[in-house]
Amino acid sequence: MMKTLVIKEIRTSILSFRFLASFVILFVVVSVTASVLTSNYLRRQAEYSQRQAEIDRYLGTYAHFNRIGAILQATQPPIPFQTLIRGLTAEINLEEFDDDPLPVMFPLIDLTFIVTILVSLIALILSYDVVCGEKEDGTLKQMLSNGLSRSKIVLAKFTGGAVTLIVPFLISLSAGMLIILLQPGVNWPASDWGALGLIVLGAFFYVAIFYLIGLLISSLHASSASSIMTSLFIWVLLVLIVPNLSPYLSSFLSPTPSRIMIAREVRRLTDVDRDDLGRKLEAKYRSEVVKQYPALAEQLSEAEVKRRVASDPEYRTAYEAMRAAEQKAWDEANRIQDAKRNALTADLQQKEEAQTSLARSISMASPLADFAYLATDLSSTGTRNTAHLGQLWQAWESVFYRDYEPKKMAELKAKDPTADLWNTPIDMTDVPRFHYTEEALGARIKPILPPFAVMLGYCIVLFAAAYVAFIGYDVR
Amino acid sequence: MTWTIARKEIASNLLSYKFFIVLLLMVLLVATSLFIMYRDFDQSIADYQIIRPKPGEPIALVAPNPLSIFAKGLENAITRSFEISVIRIDVRTGQASGNVIYSFFTAPDFLYVVRVVLSLVALLFGFDQVSREREQGTLKLLLGSSVSRAKVLAGKWIGNFLSLAVPFFFVTLLGTAVLLLDPVVHFSAGQFARLGLILVLSLFYLGFFLSLGMLVSALTRRAATSIIILLFVWAVFVFIIPNLGTLAARQFVSVPSVRALTEKQEQTWTREVLLGISKGGNWAEHMQALSREEDQMEQDYRLKFERLVRLSRDINRISPAASFLDASSEIAGTGIGEEIRLKSEIVRYKDSIIDQIIANLSTGKRNVEYPAFVDRPRSLAEIFASGALFDTVWLIFLNILLFALAYVSFIRYDVR
Repeated sequence: MMKTLVIKEIRTSILSFRFLASFVILFVVVSVTASVLTSNYLRRQAEYSQRQAEIDRYLGTYAHFNRIGAILQATQPPIPFQTLIRGLTAEINLEEFDDDPLPVMFPLIDLTFIVTILVSLIALILSYDVVCGEKEDGTLKQMLSNGLSRSKIVLAKFTGGAVTLIVPFLISLSAGMLIILLQPGVNWPASDWGALGLIVLGAFFYVAIFYLIGLLISSLHASSASSIMTSLFIWVLLVLIVPNLSPYLSSFLSPTPSRIMIAREVRRLTDVDRDDLGRKLEAKYRSEVVKQYPALAEQLSEAEVKRRVASDPEYRTAYEAMRAAEQKAWDEANRIQDAKRNALTADLQQKEEAQTSLARSISMASPLADFAYLATDLSSTGTRNTAHLGQLWQAWESVFYRDYEPKKMAELKAKDPTADLWNTPIDMTDVPRFHYTEEALGARIKPILPPFAVMLGYCIVLFAAAYVAFIGYDVR
Repeated sequence: MTWTIARKEIASNLLSYKFFIVLLLMVLLVATSLFIMYRDFDQSIADYQIIRPKPGEPIALVAPNPLSIFAKGLENAITRSFEISVIRIDVRTGQASGNVIYSFFTAPDFLYVVRVVLSLVALLFGFDQVSREREQGTLKLLLGSSVSRAKVLAGKWIGNFLSLAVPFFFVTLLGTAVLLLDPVVHFSAGQFARLGLILVLSLFYLGFFLSLGMLVSALTRRAATSIIILLFVWAVFVFIIPNLGTLAARQFVSVPSVRALTEKQEQTWTREVLLGISKGGNWAEHMQALSREEDQMEQDYRLKFERLVRLSRDINRISPAASFLDASSEIAGTGIGEEIRLKSEIVRYKDSIIDQIIANLSTGKRNVEYPAFVDRPRSLAEIFASGALFDTVWLIFLNILLFALAYVSFIRYDVR
């Protein structure tokens, strides 16, 4: 009997105008998005290899250790997943003078957008009258008079609805994937298939939530005209409002000090203040040394000092003591100011992290945010990937500064002992280049467990609520 | 007669569940959005007081714009601190860059509420105007009393527009009045005028969606079909066209990524500093040449970027949502055009500072005070001339067009 009911649900959906319209729009949007994002990806890839070639050219001619840090930077090559999901990889670049603010005004369209906005809307459109519509048509009465249990009906409605939603989504996504994979420039790695599978699973959950919301609201209303109003109201709040409010809410609840102020403070601490402190300490330690070696009190010219250091061993010890005292003063000044700076930046970082995680937690009340975090983290385009890139970069830096730099400098010194080690151009084409690798799939799965859990929780609660509401539904 | 129908529409709206939900949504969202963005503005004003440059510091910093409460736009990019040092502009970003969640979601400002949510609301007012009355049979009665169809349609439009616009206006004005209680939020007369313009644009925009709703309603037999078509059309207009349009524009205008540009500038800078050291000698000249070369690169990028912006605007204009967003954010002074203008002004400021540094080097003066950066935002006339007027006229035209189409399809509508 269950099977008959499910088939009936599917058949009524598939034959309806709304199903056809949904399918067409989904198919077109997914295909267009996939092809636009793919050509975008290919262009970025071409640009990336061109940039690498330019860096290579630079390394061969002008590389020098003083400013090499400005040339070798952590850059992420375009990854194949960006043909589907852009995540945080849009280049807005507010930290540099030249930025690209278009994505701020018009966020990019990608699979995340299609699932979170379009497919959830389709889910509501298919489900808002699934109970009250049948009541209005009078078929619900007939069904119940046939001795069917209500729980069977609600289960069949959910199953049938889920199938009619998922099949067009999967067909459209396959078409999109076909467009992507037919491009010879795209090498879709095997691990990304696993990630894509999990994203599709997440999309199932996400869509189920909205189908269940429609089912629940439909079982709470007597007319489908008011059911669509309530459904859209809930949809607007969950999808369009709650996630957008979350970072602002968290910035009031957990404020951070002004970044610009901290940056300036840091510069002052390690520049002007450090010099002042250094000079003060220097004067203090000098006077102590002078007390010990009165010979130093005499004001001598630089040449005179050099001569006396060479000729007078006693003066030499005094002079060395003086140099040591000066060094000690500046080391101390550096240490004190660095400690102050570190305290300041650590405090800022801690507060910013607290704010970010609060914003994330608030936004996770919305299934949209859950799906967005899940999809971006699985596709290596989210916050997790930013941290991963940072780790890779640290590993590279340690190789560069620990192994490469001393080796190269030693070579340079051997060739010419008087060379300026920092500002002499040398051929650095053999430098170990920074190489980005995507995080392994296993590591990507861990951060998505909380959003998955929230979505699963939503599904269970909504299903229970829809069930209870339908049991108590007045079919007259 | 038109007015009687309008009154009837208002009366029936007032009693409906739809109106209750819509009013709730409107009040809730406009109030929340204004409050949240006001707090955000308050915070940025507090920050600004701390970080504003002392006299003589070569720092370009624009004060937060109170209209950003309504139209956040690129306010975060505009209020960055641009600190001019010997050969470059050090850019420091404010709070928002410390919390990555900001970049996941669009700012929930007034424009967002109008553009995304209230457009949906306007559709809900229009979607069943014709088809529902047919289903209920009242349309037959109405036309049976020999009222012209034009008058019926006009009455319906006016009645529904008023039921939408009056609460909207009321909530917005009330919200704005509450904002003004805080002395931190200070609007000049010009800014009030700009706010008024944004409100008028909002009404045009909402009018468009109301007409669209009525058009589709007059084209379909059943209200259930009409709502489904409208929801998809809404998603296409509000989300898909503007967001896909900017991506599509990139296919035609080749703009290097900002990353590529930064890398190139770093390479030039380090190369020139190296050559300067090895050559020794005239630093001043070298510095100036370097500054000019970076300017050239910057300008090159900006020209391409402006072309991209123009093209993506032209593509996006198919959607009134993009037209509305562009025009309103430019009027508020937080749009893309404003950011581009500010940056070219900062480049000019940097050049003047560098000229001064060089002059001081030759005369041996030290610890000089530099002139402060003066920001001259564009006047309304300039903003209108550079596109906002076109967008406004376009919105009005779309309104008229859709109403005319709705009229034509209503005349041919089979009321049985």
